[in-house]
Amino acid sequence: MSAFIEDGAPVIVQGMTGHQGMTHTARMLRAGTNIVGGVNPRKAGTQVAFEVDGQTVDVPVFATCQDAVATTGAVASVVFVPPRFAKDAVVEAVDSGLGLVVVITEGIPVADSAYFVELAQRHHVRIVGPNCPGLMTLPDEGHSRGCNLGIIPDGIVSRGPLGLVSKSGTLTYQLMGELADIGFTACLGAGGDPIVGTTLQDALEVFEADPHTKAVMMIGEIGGSAEQDAARWAAEHMTKPVVAYIAGFTAPEGKQMGHAGAIVSGGKGTARDKKEALEAVGIRVGRTPSEAARFMRETLSTL
Amino acid sequence: MDLYEYQARELLEEQGIDTPRALFVEDEGQVAQAAETIGMPVVVKAQVKIGHRGQAGGVRIAQDRNAAVTAAADILPMTIHGHRVNGVLVAEARNILHEYYVSISVDRASRDFDVLATASGGTEVEEIAREHPESVKRLHIGALEDFDLEAATRMARSIGFYHADVDQAAQILLRMWRCFKENDATLVEINPLAKVGDPDDEGSKSLCALDAKISLDDNAAYRHDGWKRFATARDADPYEVKARELGLHYVHLNGQVGVIGNGAGLVMSSLDAVSFAGQDQGTGIQPANFLDIGGGADAEAMCRSLEIVLSDPQVASVFINVYGGITSCEQVALGILEAMDELGIDKPIVVRFDGNAAPEGLRILEEAHRSNIHMARTMEQAAAQAARLAAQDKESSK
Repeated sequence: MSAFIEDGAPVIVQGMTGHQGMTHTARMLRAGTNIVGGVNPRKAGTQVAFEVDGQTVDVPVFATCQDAVATTGAVASVVFVPPRFAKDAVVEAVDSGLGLVVVITEGIPVADSAYFVELAQRHHVRIVGPNCPGLMTLPDEGHSRGCNLGIIPDGIVSRGPLGLVSKSGTLTYQLMGELADIGFTACLGAGGDPIVGTTLQDALEVFEADPHTKAVMMIGEIGGSAEQDAARWAAEHMTKPVVAYIAGFTAPEGKQMGHAGAIVSGGKGTARDKKEALEAVGIRVGRTPSEAARFMRETLSTL
Repeated sequence: MDLYEYQARELLEEQGIDTPRALFVEDEGQVAQAAETIGMPVVVKAQVKIGHRGQAGGVRIAQDRNAAVTAAADILPMTIHGHRVNGVLVAEARNILHEYYVSISVDRASRDFDVLATASGGTEVEEIAREHPESVKRLHIGALEDFDLEAATRMARSIGFYHADVDQAAQILLRMWRCFKENDATLVEINPLAKVGDPDDEGSKSLCALDAKISLDDNAAYRHDGWKRFATARDADPYEVKARELGLHYVHLNGQVGVIGNGAGLVMSSLDAVSFAGQDQGTGIQPANFLDIGGGADAEAMCRSLEIVLSDPQVASVFINVYGGITSCEQVALGILEAMDELGIDKPIVVRFDGNAAPEGLRILEEAHRSNIHMARTMEQAAAQAARLAAQDKESSK
């Protein structure tokens, strides 16, 4: 068992037959993910052939999530559906009884995300994202396949004692690379939108409960107060050490820095405030990703 | 995207919320006519997307036509807290009896919608919250909930509107909510929501939106014809305009080191690294821009990015920071060389690669033997070198 999802769990891909979906489904399969179906009402009943390690894997396409779940027993979905169709796709996933929905799509209107995140909470379904690189779990001993759900490159890291949660994609890969020799239980991209299904704090809660995770690397950025909320929760409930990195100290007020959620407005959401809130509860914050990695090594050496 | 006041008023009026009669004027020559049309006295208000414009002299009351023209002549050329004034609103001056504050916004923490209100409005809500925290009420509208007149009336009561104002306030709350939902807003703020009229004539009193601030969700632009009607609300920075046309995520800053990277987080991190290096080296060198080249950092994207970044005459060096995830650094390296040839770049470029095919990418750059391409092993080293090169350039051009 890994944090967030069982090793080798059956997974479907919504938007599999699009360009992004095809590219990343092939990658996820090569990374060992157990992909059992795709969803596209216009291509239902067909199969898509993927080349995996010299062998052909045929993945059936279903008309709806309900059909896919009923036939394959899938427990999770990865969503590559374009923004204007994303709300319906996620609502369908939530209604079909899946336990985990990973939304990669960037550019979803925030009102749509607010709707499906709330709906998912009522149905006790975990949403990861939107606008995130996804979730990667590394297989526990005795298992050959973890889960690579999304676009996180495979092969950077192997299994180890760290958990990682991040608002940013490339900084996730950067820190995975810096700490590759130590290894991870799971790496989760929380997403760069103002409203996401799994917050930094939600991820800390899962890592705290996971017996294999010994310490957590948390990567934040300007905008909102997810880092402060995570700091407050960690101070009260977390027994495992957390090391953080925050991006955006030079970001000017009122400017969106790439991510929809990365904006300082009305003097709120600055990197400085976040750093101070984290340090106030004893969480070390690296000035650069490399320094954060060094802090993590120092922390591990004292455990 | 933040709207100007005169645009925000339009959206409120479409929902039937009362606003003072007003005309938006960009040209000083039209002010007299506008003031006549509205009727004296008028308020002349700077149209600028920043708070505290009143304290900065951006709002003036004019008793007659000449005073209105003088006020506009003073205000139109102003830059308030770094924001250029885009025009003035010539508005009917109403007799204010009381001021409330109401806003609806996306609440990132509770992941629903937040209604913030106080019966003592007028100034910035942050100040009210600091000085009279007990007077600021915070209520929520759930993402799956239907907000109707009954809920709005309950909310108006709990906010503390005077008894006589509750029914009208409930209507306004409901209309603000419709304005928020129908326009995919992330903020609809009325401050002040004023009780106006003749103090001795109960029948003349009503609630009126004297000032408004609305922000719209850029991700929802496709549902609203790309917000074409509010095109002027987009930033007028010429580099940002051009970058947007090219489909690049670019933010113009005011430093000397151009920054290009893949992924918003990594680029923000690169900006910080440049700024820290400038501090450490005692030169005060700062990043010139944010530019996220995204996932497919191919030759064409690199070419367009370098073109935009280098069109800023302040840029003295460029820092390219790429973590090869799905994109291979080999491809990025070829893209850099192609872009340099096409654009004839002679400014120094510092490249840092990591991840997918990073050594191969660096080898390609090395074997190209370009004297103005520098390679660094880490992000910190690259930022330090780019900052040093920019400082040298600044020094030699003195």
